[in-house]
Amino acid sequence: MKIPVRYWSWFKDLAGTDHEVHELPPQARLGDLMELIRRRHPRFEEVRKSTLVAVGVEYQADDHPLEDGNEVSLFPPVQGG
Amino acid sequence: MRRDLQLVREPLNEEALRRGRSASSGAGAVLQFLGIVRGSEGDDSIRALDYEAFEPMAVHQFEKLFDALERRWPVVESVRLVHRLGTVAVGEASLWVEIVSPHRGEAFQACQWLIDEMKQVVPIWKKAVSGGMQDATAPS
Repeated sequence: MKIPVRYWSWFKDLAGTDHEVHELPPQARLGDLMELIRRRHPRFEEVRKSTLVAVGVEYQADDHPLEDGNEVSLFPPVQGG
Repeated sequence: MRRDLQLVREPLNEEALRRGRSASSGAGAVLQFLGIVRGSEGDDSIRALDYEAFEPMAVHQFEKLFDALERRWPVVESVRLVHRLGTVAVGEASLWVEIVSPHRGEAFQACQWLIDEMKQVVPIWKKAVSGGMQDATAPS
């Protein structure tokens, strides 16, 4: 299945892009996608603990099951105000 | 509870926002908070902050916070919040919040809580725009 991923704020610099599409096997979970992203972009390993991840508009954890076409967003700690 | 959320790219019109206030006869407190851009980030002087938002998620997370605020302080009758996006110069407002409630206690608590929570979950980021000392001076 195809999972589009968007990067926000300075995570765009870590990824070298603001979006990309990853191919994952059926029944993959969010944690599988994160492993794939860290392999492709090793700099995300350095920010593992502070990385926020959303599927659609909700925060999700590594065990969240993915479905084809789910839009995943990765971003650093938020800074509104 | 009345709620109003705006993510805007133009300067805040504080007077128009104040005019938009509505309060019932049971209201005894109107708390308005204005956050403005400081002229420094750490040791560096800056000219502005550039705000970026993942807007659909920001709106959704703000709505969830308003829901939670209403559950925690059911007496609060109105929450309005405006957040600037894009480039906001030093001295300009980046955030405006208004809470209307029967008494000041819950208004202060709810406002503090809402801003604290916003800074944890609402996907908005800021980037410093550097400039010389003259540029970093806030408008008088």
